[in-house]
Amino acid sequence: MAAFSLFGLLAILRKLKSSPDKELRILLLGLDNAGKTTLLKKLASEDVTHITPTQGFNIKSVQAEGFKLNVWDIGGQRKIRPYWRNYFDNTDVLIYVIDSADRKRMDETGYELSELLIDDKLVGVPLLVFANKQDLLHAASASDVAQSLCLHQIKDRPWQIQACSATAGEGIKDGMEWISRNVCRKK
Amino acid sequence: MFNSIWLNLYYYLRPILKWLLRKTTRLCELQRICYGESAGYSRSYGVEKSLQLSRSPEIKKMVQCLDKLSDERKLCGRVLKSSLQYAVGTALTVKDINPFVHNQFTPSFVRCSEHIWGYRQLVSEIEHLRTCQYDPTNSDHETKLLKLWDHLMPSVPLESRVTKQWQDIGFQGDDPKTDFRGMGILGLENLLFFAEEYPSAATYVLSHSLHPQKGYAFAIVGINLTSMAYHLLKDGTFKTHIYNISKSMPSIRLFHQLYCYLFYEFDKFWLQAKPKNIMDFTPVRNRFEENIRMLLSQPSAAFRINLSIDTI
Repeated sequence: MAAFSLFGLLAILRKLKSSPDKELRILLLGLDNAGKTTLLKKLASEDVTHITPTQGFNIKSVQAEGFKLNVWDIGGQRKIRPYWRNYFDNTDVLIYVIDSADRKRMDETGYELSELLIDDKLVGVPLLVFANKQDLLHAASASDVAQSLCLHQIKDRPWQIQACSATAGEGIKDGMEWISRNVCRKK
Repeated sequence: MFNSIWLNLYYYLRPILKWLLRKTTRLCELQRICYGESAGYSRSYGVEKSLQLSRSPEIKKMVQCLDKLSDERKLCGRVLKSSLQYAVGTALTVKDINPFVHNQFTPSFVRCSEHIWGYRQLVSEIEHLRTCQYDPTNSDHETKLLKLWDHLMPSVPLESRVTKQWQDIGFQGDDPKTDFRGMGILGLENLLFFAEEYPSAATYVLSHSLHPQKGYAFAIVGINLTSMAYHLLKDGTFKTHIYNISKSMPSIRLFHQLYCYLFYEFDKFWLQAKPKNIMDFTPVRNRFEENIRMLLSQPSAAFRINLSIDTI
């Protein structure tokens, strides 16, 4: 299991020449049952076997040597999606999580993502798409997901698709490394 | 720091203290607890601590044996009876208590043992249900799910197994199967118990959950409360209530009842908190849990689970 902790991420971020009290606001979005909370818990090295559907949102912040990472995990249920917009301000990175095995809802998740990308408050915000649940047999590959979501048409921001399995902790580190490089470029 | 020094000191001084008390009161520690503490949490928890700290090899062996049986959920029927006899027998022999002179000791100690290992067995039973994933190919699971609908929405027929109607009782999408997640079949059992045993309370709470601004997703909040109840049971917070209320082995119904109490009280708390919308859920939920934990930290804590609704 690829063990990954926020400390690993912090070590990467520490290399950046940002002001010492820099806060990084990371927004975690996606449909319900995509695996956002599992990803959040994995980032914080917490147990992922007791997760319940997110009503409202969860935040985890970790402070270490002048860095403060605020990860906002907002519920993906249809009724909650109208509230997503309340959390857009000052977002440094958008992480969009997809259940790669849920092919029936690929269009729905694509639609929600396209709505996010045309929002004024998220202009130019780097986008990391996690093609999650790669541990499931019938999961679509990252490139298939990228194709159904027409990611290659995104020209106004840096973006990346990363295959991962949040429960197994695989692929998360690669995604976070991409984030640290792209936040660096932006600042 | 100071605490750990004190605990260390206590560990070494305890035998001397016990010896002194034994000489002066002519009673062993278990007897002093059984006679001195009031029945319920104070007594059973005192016995539990005393047994845990015991250095007698026979007592240690007895504790280990009953721990194992309760973890394997085998304490019922004849096994339970013989296990309780074994526990009392060990205590009487090791502490050299004459059961005819001290005829109050045996029933009192048996009750404590039922509390201690009944609770432990309950934790194991609940853990077993929680780790059992909701399985749509299991007809028992499916039946329970459909029963939940019928109890909550008696006048509205379900159009099909996969339908947007599930959102009316607060599931996230058109198939509840993915919503149980880390709480497994325990989440469904809890909801179903609430709807079956307290139908008026459940539909009353459901009606609140449908409010356009102050509403919430009934089933999802229910599953989140299952998680709260599960953690309160597992970390021992429920011991006060359960030891105080149980006349014998605590049953799974007791856990379900506590869940119903939590749900009913949460609904009240939520409305009193005047939330702006559902995004206030996490902070309100956390404050609610703090309150519950505070109430349960009292040794005399015993919730009155009487969820009657005044109908005008």
